[in-house]
Amino acid sequence: MRLVIRDDPQIVGQYIANYIRKRIHDFSPTPERPFVLGLPTGSTPLPTYKALIAMVKEKTLSFKNVVTFNMDEYVGLPQDHQQSYHTFMFREFFSQIDIPPSQVNILDGNAEDLIAECTSYEQRIKELGGIELFLGGIGDDGHIAFNEPGSSLASRTRIKTLAYDTILANARFFNDDISAVPRMALTVGVATVLDAREVVVIVTGQRKALALSKTIEEGVNHLWTLSALQLHPWALIVTDEDATAELHVKTVKYFKSIERVQEEVEIIQARPKVKGDSIQAAVA
Amino acid sequence: MTSPNGLICFTNCLLPQEDGSLVQKDLWVDERRGVILDAQKTFYKRRERPNRNIDMGGNIVSPGFLDIQINGAYGFDFSVYEDDDEAYHKGVQMVAERIVETGVTSLLPTIITQEKSVYPKLLSLLKPFSNSKSATFLGWHAEGPFIDLTKRGAHTPGYLLPAVEGFKSFEEVYGAANLVEREDWAMSEDDQNPGVRLVTAAPEIPGVMDALAELNKRGIAFSIGHSVASTDVATAAVQNGARLITHLFNAMPQLHHRDPSIIGLLGASPWLSSPFNPLPTVLPCTLDHLPPFELPASMHEGGASTPTGKFSGSPQASFAALEETPAHTKRQEAGAGSPSSNLPTRKQSRPSLHLDKGQIADMSFERPYYGLIVDGIHCHPNSVRLAYSSHPEGCILITDAMKILDPNLRDGVYEWREGRYFEKRGEGLYLEGTTTLAGSLVTLDKCVRNLSRFTGCSLGEAIRCATYNPAKCLGIEDKKGTLRPGAHADFVVLDRQGIVLSTWVKGKEVWVKGA
Repeated sequence: MRLVIRDDPQIVGQYIANYIRKRIHDFSPTPERPFVLGLPTGSTPLPTYKALIAMVKEKTLSFKNVVTFNMDEYVGLPQDHQQSYHTFMFREFFSQIDIPPSQVNILDGNAEDLIAECTSYEQRIKELGGIELFLGGIGDDGHIAFNEPGSSLASRTRIKTLAYDTILANARFFNDDISAVPRMALTVGVATVLDAREVVVIVTGQRKALALSKTIEEGVNHLWTLSALQLHPWALIVTDEDATAELHVKTVKYFKSIERVQEEVEIIQARPKVKGDSIQAAVA
Repeated sequence: MTSPNGLICFTNCLLPQEDGSLVQKDLWVDERRGVILDAQKTFYKRRERPNRNIDMGGNIVSPGFLDIQINGAYGFDFSVYEDDDEAYHKGVQMVAERIVETGVTSLLPTIITQEKSVYPKLLSLLKPFSNSKSATFLGWHAEGPFIDLTKRGAHTPGYLLPAVEGFKSFEEVYGAANLVEREDWAMSEDDQNPGVRLVTAAPEIPGVMDALAELNKRGIAFSIGHSVASTDVATAAVQNGARLITHLFNAMPQLHHRDPSIIGLLGASPWLSSPFNPLPTVLPCTLDHLPPFELPASMHEGGASTPTGKFSGSPQASFAALEETPAHTKRQEAGAGSPSSNLPTRKQSRPSLHLDKGQIADMSFERPYYGLIVDGIHCHPNSVRLAYSSHPEGCILITDAMKILDPNLRDGVYEWREGRYFEKRGEGLYLEGTTTLAGSLVTLDKCVRNLSRFTGCSLGEAIRCATYNPAKCLGIEDKKGTLRPGAHADFVVLDRQGIVLSTWVKGKEVWVKGA
């Protein structure tokens, strides 16, 4: 696992956007072989989305050959509701980049057969050869997507009941009316995320500090579902200084040191590198 | 330059919202159908996105302006018919094609009082009209002949009429064929429908109040104007469905604090507008003939004991009533969805004082819209600000322009009609050799900038008074004057100082500054 620490959320967003742009360029996607990208919602990825949008506007990045899969969507909320993830993704990202609408996938929380919707979502990912890079965030309680504490670490895309914490936290988006907050969501599973060839997680803000510590400094635990990331061969966490508040000094120093080594390795590897291959540095 | 899939996206622009704010946002348009799109639905459901992006350079993409009172422009007078249909049609088309340079994409040609026999012909010529590069004529605005002699302004006194038979008199004058029921004539694609839209009349003229209900029923907006109506008559007119005041401050009694008359409607008090309070009954003695009016049927539901507004009693009685406990007895359920937006809306009234800060408008009826000529001449900037501050949601900018309107015209003496001449001096238009105002020649884009300057309101709030407010008043805000999905893609692009840069009709650019 790599942990990259930057000063603040804006710089974190810029770093990840640069990283994704490089990955897409190195992949050289075509219509027949698109780059498959997993995407999160929430406030954490906003600086990343803004930076990516700026790249599209200055024409240093294109999503013409990118296919996206979103992590989750509420059940029963109209697609054009202000709080739906369809609305969020359109407003904050899709409307401002150049992705063809047919290449956007978001779970349909209003599908008649919700189980079939989940199954076909996994199927679509599979047909495209799996997800190349899954971008994610983390909840205060360490959840990834809607895989709340206690979720199976082997879970796939499915219907999920929201934790009471999450419902309370979301009430502010529904006029503080708890009864109006959806109680269920469709979400990719922990295993769906881990299946991606690369997982990049954004962790910013002091509120996430404990979750970050639990995720990387303790064992794999279904009460902190993102800790399953420890089992992934090529994971990257990008965090700001605030979110490192609960980490041991030793941990921070270790990851800072391997980041420097990683840079050196990349320079050395750059020459014989074959296009489209990601560099699996020895430090990972 | 068209888009391969017919969809275009205006980006890097400010969009005026219906509340007067300006929001940085993209706007998606279907240039083939000439309508505004629901961008999110287009993306997820139609699985399409615009092939063409237009960078607007940070300028404002506003709904095209609506002018609901305009007498003519570019030398053509809507009220002059010279026995030649072809020439008249050409004049209409010429105005429609040229007016877009002022940001106007919809207008109501206004016919001032005519000799009775001329109306049916003239109005039938003013059916809704538009072509691919012109503004839309929405129908007609008949100003007169049911107006007050003493407030006639430039209207010919000999042609004024009472409406002794109520609505029937309106039919006789305007022609029954020009007053048919609304149903789709508004925006129908063919122009076969009569274009009745708006009538300006004085509610104290015999029979006019009686005609209000039927006018409402047919979707014809009623505007109070050229009138000496007292406070009570004016209020009664609004309660019976009058939606608008014609060129506020002009051709009506000045604001008197004991009988604020028509202008006072802008400050209509919740106390006096309560459906459970009998109206004060100060009536000028000249109004003996005014028939008692009935409140709409919905008023009688809910068991209010005496909700009628019969004109009886004395001024003393009504003022005394102010000192007593309100007569209203029972609370009434708020109107369960008025069937027509043109009918007066009645709301629940509080039976007692309340403790909610800021909540003052507990009205049984909506205050009317008011047309305002903001050329700096017809209304002093102070008066403009006074009106706007008291009721910003009701403000509608109008030009009331004469045929001389033409932003490219120099100062000088020009022929008006019937051998009379007027003189253009800067922004003012006077009867030749006098200081008597002969109407206005201001353009609507100038009015928008003036309103912002005179009142201190934002450019976005001023734009609202030339877009959303007039459209709402006519009940066509789903199609005109807004950026709602499905609305017509008529735009005026303004810089941040309100100067018109380009005008778009049905998704196509039809005028560009300096082109």
